[in-house]
Amino acid sequence: MESNTGALVIGGGSTGTGVARDLAMRGVDVTLVEKGNLTHGTTGRMHGLLHSGGRYAVSDQPSAVECIEENRILRDIASHCVEETGGLFVKRPEDTEEYFETKLEGCQECGIPTEVLSGAEAREMEPYLAQDVDRAIRVPDGAIDPFRLCVANAESATNHGARIETHAEVVDLLVDEPAGTDEAAVVGAEIRHESGTGSRTHGEQTEIETIYADHVINAAGAWAGQLGDLAGVDVAVQPAKGAMTVTNVRQVDTVINRCRPKGDADILVPHETTAILGTTDEAVDDPEHYPEEQREVDLLFEQLTDLVPILEDARTLRTFWGVRPLYEPPGTGTQDTGDITRDFFLLDHADRDGVTGFTSIVGGKFTTYRAMAEEISDHVCDRLGVSADCRTADVPLPGSESPGRLDDAMDRYGLRSPIARRSAERLGSKTEAVLGTDEPNPVVCECEAVTRAELQNAIESAGSDLNDVRIRTRASMGNCQGGICAHRMAAELSPEYESPTVRAAHDELLQERWKGERHALWGEQLAQAALNYALHATTMNLDRDPARTDDDPEYAAFDTGPPGHTAGTGDTTAAADGGRPTGSRSADEEGHDGD
Amino acid sequence: MFGHAPDDGDESDETESSCGCEAGSGESDGSAESRSTSEVRSDGGEPSDERRPTSELCSDGGIDADVPGDPGSAGGAGSHPSSDDEFEPVQVFPDSTEQDLRPGADSCYKCSTCDTNCPVAEVDDEFPGPKFQGPEQWRLSRDDAPEIDDSIDKCSNCMRCDHACPTDVPLSQMHNTARGRYVDDQLSKLSIQYLRKKILSNYGRLGRLGSLFPRTTNFVMGNRAVRWITDRTLGITDEREFPEFATQTFRSWWDERGGAQVQSEDRRVAYFHGDYANYNTPEVGKALVRVFESFGYEVAVPRQRCSGTPMFANGMLDDARRAATVNVTEFDALIEEGYDVVCSCTSCSMALRQEYPELFDIDGTERVAANTYDAVEYLRIHEDLREELADAETDADDELPDLAYHAPCHARNQGLAEQALEVGDAVEGVDVDDVGDSCSGISGTYGWKSKHYDTSMAIGDEMFDHMEDSEAETGMTECPTCAMQMEHGTGYDVRHTLELLEATLVGEGEAW
Repeated sequence: MESNTGALVIGGGSTGTGVARDLAMRGVDVTLVEKGNLTHGTTGRMHGLLHSGGRYAVSDQPSAVECIEENRILRDIASHCVEETGGLFVKRPEDTEEYFETKLEGCQECGIPTEVLSGAEAREMEPYLAQDVDRAIRVPDGAIDPFRLCVANAESATNHGARIETHAEVVDLLVDEPAGTDEAAVVGAEIRHESGTGSRTHGEQTEIETIYADHVINAAGAWAGQLGDLAGVDVAVQPAKGAMTVTNVRQVDTVINRCRPKGDADILVPHETTAILGTTDEAVDDPEHYPEEQREVDLLFEQLTDLVPILEDARTLRTFWGVRPLYEPPGTGTQDTGDITRDFFLLDHADRDGVTGFTSIVGGKFTTYRAMAEEISDHVCDRLGVSADCRTADVPLPGSESPGRLDDAMDRYGLRSPIARRSAERLGSKTEAVLGTDEPNPVVCECEAVTRAELQNAIESAGSDLNDVRIRTRASMGNCQGGICAHRMAAELSPEYESPTVRAAHDELLQERWKGERHALWGEQLAQAALNYALHATTMNLDRDPARTDDDPEYAAFDTGPPGHTAGTGDTTAAADGGRPTGSRSADEEGHDGD
Repeated sequence: MFGHAPDDGDESDETESSCGCEAGSGESDGSAESRSTSEVRSDGGEPSDERRPTSELCSDGGIDADVPGDPGSAGGAGSHPSSDDEFEPVQVFPDSTEQDLRPGADSCYKCSTCDTNCPVAEVDDEFPGPKFQGPEQWRLSRDDAPEIDDSIDKCSNCMRCDHACPTDVPLSQMHNTARGRYVDDQLSKLSIQYLRKKILSNYGRLGRLGSLFPRTTNFVMGNRAVRWITDRTLGITDEREFPEFATQTFRSWWDERGGAQVQSEDRRVAYFHGDYANYNTPEVGKALVRVFESFGYEVAVPRQRCSGTPMFANGMLDDARRAATVNVTEFDALIEEGYDVVCSCTSCSMALRQEYPELFDIDGTERVAANTYDAVEYLRIHEDLREELADAETDADDELPDLAYHAPCHARNQGLAEQALEVGDAVEGVDVDDVGDSCSGISGTYGWKSKHYDTSMAIGDEMFDHMEDSEAETGMTECPTCAMQMEHGTGYDVRHTLELLEATLVGEGEAW
């Protein structure tokens, strides 16, 4: 299988989808390939902070200026992905007045609007702030949903003619080295489609496709170094992991930052129904395989309870790790990953390595993804000889054309108040198109208030990939972590998809949920996991499913018939919920490659 | 007259000491059972697991976190010594309808036991049930706009969900708070719905008026035409007959007899009679006084207002707070003088014990909550009631009928569902039949609303059936509105457990 494209973008995170949208809007023929789901890499594993720039206002003012500019743009073009929470830099007694003043001045120098609050005023805004917080600076931080944002960028790109392929891994880059020269050119890539092309269907045949491209853009983030290797160029990305823990409810409705020089575990971001504690910063060798350690989680709580003591008691849903694609130009020699710049670098491999047709993008921050994409697209257009202006700062993303009409959602679609409100916030301008169904529209995910209509809409794009459905809708991301709804979501795949596909999709979703959940299992969430296990074992026999084994199910074992009748043999006569001690849920086995 | 002039002295200094009562005296073992499951979870395991149980979390989230010894989280001071010094949110909200109960959602595992125990959800498919009304809705809520679903109006406030929840989600607190928000923010003050809520929840005012001319009022309210009009205009059902006002209120009787007839330094109870026993069933109040005096108690009847139960149930939290302030102030002053508080209505005792601390931050609330008892419960704790009843001279066989007993939901929530059966068992010649654990369906003012009448009767069906099946043809319960429902559904005469005690132990009271 072969195809041709103008620009081949590798990586379906914020950078990749941003570039795909930008180029597509300029009329470039774009193909984007991503080895997992959209946001599979680092984008889906961040704390969802829309920076005001306040965090960089002392250490990195150019980044701060860029942040506040992009912050304003995203509020506009991505309104259905952004919640304007506002943010606080709070100062505890042991934090210095000097730094507080430096931060304040820095913000002002960078054009970041500020307001200084007393401790009491800050607590009036956020009652759960610690009693001894003595001052705070209010800044326009916000919360942003990275999943929704990437999906919207991809959708916009598709609307402008781009082809987006997920579960499509680059297995090789095609490098053309004309004999007798020392020039080299990247002319395309060999792609392995895990389950065929187009939207995903579990179990479809793997396909290999050769995509020839006029220009290849390496937007693989922390994986950019590995791709560079395929083209024989050195891209020295330093992956640095950071841990984040998700609480069950929002302890705060404002982003809380600690007002001190950048350190670990100093931010709490309200995100949808939850709050996210972040984060740590530690170099790792491999972006895919690194230790996820309890001490990192402990550090988050230890530090952040100083700011918001109620976190001590908070129920936690899961902990996840992300790897930053840090990059520093050769020779900088920074020791601590925390000191490596968050600025981004466009590596033009023609200039740098004598390899034409290939550009890598490394470093950077989520908040400024659009500006990065614009700069890359300018560069690529220049190489491709396309002259068109960037329009991504002005044209709203699909879903953000107008705010979701809440009253409509409630009255017209017969949804209860908080469900209608949540749905309309997620769907934005697509509310009517998605919820305006004549079919019964029950709530499928109760925790996050996701209805059947919204799930069906997501399935249209995501295929049988329930993790993709999840990131589009938030279904199974609430307190029960899919305990009550994962099978309902799977049921939504039927009858379009066959039973083996539905089972595979269900299993994959459960494993992905478990991957993050197992790091936060104490107190309430441990009890939830125990209940989920019991539910799944007793209602779906998930701990020992005869339908999954090669043996014929011993149906007699389920119905012993009249007294005296003997059915089955040995331990198979046990009730269906008699799970094996070595059940499928041992943490070590579950290094599932989910998102 | 009773000898306890209202003492408005500032009791706040004393409040601190009250937390000791809770763990200390044996008396409290029999009380505050309603929330006692929180203790089970508070002994957590390893240090890393020591995240505080959620019932305390919700008190952190609530306005009363700064009051020690919160009986609402019966784990008590012992199990979370750190809650006061470690974390103390400032009271920033103007009133409790604004409190943030989202953290209360942490203890919900969505097991749905509350939904399966909800009598309204059982008969009304449109009602989403307590799990949605409580933890789900709170978790999904945002702080910046009213968005309480109007199905909150269908909750009858029977509080069975509290009793059902295995993990102490503060369900009724969530419902009460949500209902308060709904009425405050989403209901027009000019709507019939609001007016009806106002009228029904302020029954005491109506009662005071009605009792001025009880016979006239009873005649007018008994008139079918009048009831037809109230149904059509106010949405108060014309299916029910308005309770009759007594020709003499309890308080007027109390004054007339010269107040307390027994004086005692160490056996003192302050009687919270509430509106209904005062205006409609003074025989219950009289029974309480005579029974307690027969045991040598000095009874005080301080100034008081409605317990607030109908106000919580109608989302009138401001009205409820005003009433609660009077009650807490008056009764707290008497507790200072060695009195314990006894109630004859189980919804009143529920309000003083659980809802006040959950919803309000009034000086003395915690102490009143910790020292309030159902009257029969109190006697069972302090007296050998079974022995006394067994030895009673009264020949009950001749005059007392067998009884079909219904335990009100609010008695059930206080762990008192069995006590009347045990009391009845001790009375020779009287059989007390349990008519099952279903809800009567009326839930105070709920069943009085035209729109809820059918639901109310559908819920009551099971109880009616059981009453019909029982040999007894007289009903017994401790809740006045359950009594109305029992009477309405079966035509039986319905009496109060205190009246049974009075007939057996004192030999006085209304004829049976």
